[in-house]
Amino acid sequence: MSLQRRNNVRVSGEGPATIFFAHGFGCDQNMWRLLAPAYAKRYRTVLFDMVGSGSSDLTAYDAAKYDSLQGYADDVVELVREFSEGPAVFVGHSVSAMIGMLANLKDASPFAAQVMIGPSPCYINDGDYVGGFSRQDIDSLLETLESNYLGWSSNMAPAIMGAPEQPDLSTELTNSFCRTDPEIAKQFARVTFLSDNRAQLPLLTTPTLIVQCNDDIIAPLAVGDYLKRRLPRSTLRVIDNVGHCPHLSSPGQCAQATDEFLAAEGL
Amino acid sequence: MSVPGPLSTDAQTLLDGAPCGLMCTLPDGTFLRVNRTFCTWVGLSEDELVHKQKFQDLLSMGGRIFHQTHWAPLLAMQGSISEVKLELRQRDGTTLPVVINAIVRHDGVKRHELAAYVARDRDKYERELIQSRKRMEELVAETRRLHDEVKDRALLAEQMIGIVSHDLRNPISTIQTAAAMLSRGVPAESRDRMVARIARAGQRADRLIGDLLDFTQARLGDGLRVRPEPILLHEVVAEAVEELALAHPGRPLRHVPSGRGECHADPSRLEQLVGNLVSNAMSYGSADSPVTVGSTIAADGFSITVHNFGPPIPAETLPTLFEPMTRGTHAIGSKRSVGLGLFIVCQVAKAHGGKTEVFSSAEAGTTFSVTFPLSPR
Repeated sequence: MSLQRRNNVRVSGEGPATIFFAHGFGCDQNMWRLLAPAYAKRYRTVLFDMVGSGSSDLTAYDAAKYDSLQGYADDVVELVREFSEGPAVFVGHSVSAMIGMLANLKDASPFAAQVMIGPSPCYINDGDYVGGFSRQDIDSLLETLESNYLGWSSNMAPAIMGAPEQPDLSTELTNSFCRTDPEIAKQFARVTFLSDNRAQLPLLTTPTLIVQCNDDIIAPLAVGDYLKRRLPRSTLRVIDNVGHCPHLSSPGQCAQATDEFLAAEGL
Repeated sequence: MSVPGPLSTDAQTLLDGAPCGLMCTLPDGTFLRVNRTFCTWVGLSEDELVHKQKFQDLLSMGGRIFHQTHWAPLLAMQGSISEVKLELRQRDGTTLPVVINAIVRHDGVKRHELAAYVARDRDKYERELIQSRKRMEELVAETRRLHDEVKDRALLAEQMIGIVSHDLRNPISTIQTAAAMLSRGVPAESRDRMVARIARAGQRADRLIGDLLDFTQARLGDGLRVRPEPILLHEVVAEAVEELALAHPGRPLRHVPSGRGECHADPSRLEQLVGNLVSNAMSYGSADSPVTVGSTIAADGFSITVHNFGPPIPAETLPTLFEPMTRGTHAIGSKRSVGLGLFIVCQVAKAHGGKTEVFSSAEAGTTFSVTFPLSPR
């Protein structure tokens, strides 16, 4: 199976570097619609869906392989090797920030920079470490997921109400966005929220930008500070945003932080 | 921040008393307006909510993560979302399951409008569904387990028939042949040889039946039973080697003891282990080079090794070497007995908390090494 089909890869633009945009747990590459297009004017951009999400090939989903973030990271290594022209910049949202790091640790050669949007190396509190959640919280999430997928029937995203000022979205887009197989969603949630990659942080030697929201329950401020301390070549930018998806709610601030970082790295 | 304008009294009454919770929030979730029904549900007044709390603050923790990972992006992308089931935290600490629809409205300022319906019955029904699904999954798992067990037992029966029909037949036919020759009358010196052959075949059959019983016990029970006691390792091994030398006349067999100290093990099981490994080495090793049995006592455990020269064990056989009846892959008529010998060696080691390893190459020959803790765990 081609990587293009497996991960529903979309390549646009041209430029001195290739920027990979990786979505986090919950939705798919359409999360980047307010951020990525501007970069396609200056760079080669690659958008893709993690296997099991969006319009990826669900037949490629292997419960054993994707039982850890490394399974996803192995895919990223393949994607970066196949679709990079020039140095690669990996922009990962949420759990994909760690997936990008694991891919980098497996093969650092193509990576010139990592951008982590709302990253967390470990979601669960552990001794002095503040991740923001307890194990019970994660169980509660799994329950919420389960009860929502019951309501949605299998393979369906929540219906659309027909809002008075519906954003201009094609039917195709709205139907695929956030569409998930319930069993895959549950496993991805478990793998994501029970992951712990703190030990790997000091090994990442590629320059890294941490985009931290000032009000985000999934990646609280303390986590951004922790990452800044543990990642050897990192820059921390705290932006004014409520919620975990600043690339949707504050795309301007995300772009500004990213642009300054890329300029400083000569990319 | 702009607050929606005042409503007529009728409209206000209708909204306040509506049989559903109604909310208007900023895109970040901050309440701009709530109706009385919603306030009653969560046990907070309008003043406590408006401009002070965010919608997501009232959700269970799972709901808050879901809100961030699904709700917010969906609403931003689609402009609306419906039938999302969440749990509201009430003031008294209990939770209220609700189903929520929401739309984004742009009137100069972007706002979210939410309608919530209590979903206690649906919640109960869903829990029952989840329960039944879990029960079903358990039943499926149990059925699968039983199926595997049945298959396992069928395999066991097959293996036992294989052992009895093939391996037991060899010594019996030896006995029959020798008996037939004896009945025809043979010279005295040949007679002694015949009798010795009958005795050896009898011993082989006897050991095979013993192995068979051990095998059944190891497969069906909790492994082999052993009775560890303080032993003099080198003496136990030396005795076993002496007997084995008698059983394999003309084949050089050495014992190399090393180290001293007290060991705990079941001596008859160790004898059995040495017997199985040596007869293995005799069958597979080159006939003109010696078989060496080592017994070694170290600070952290003791070990028994059996070494022979000769062709190495094929690499593809190694992974299943210690499983019963692996001989199936060998040519018929191979001298190897049953394929139970190594399985039992492995079980004896396990029963003592030890482990079995094998190293095999054309140059160095083949060494089976069984290491034990000084006393069983």
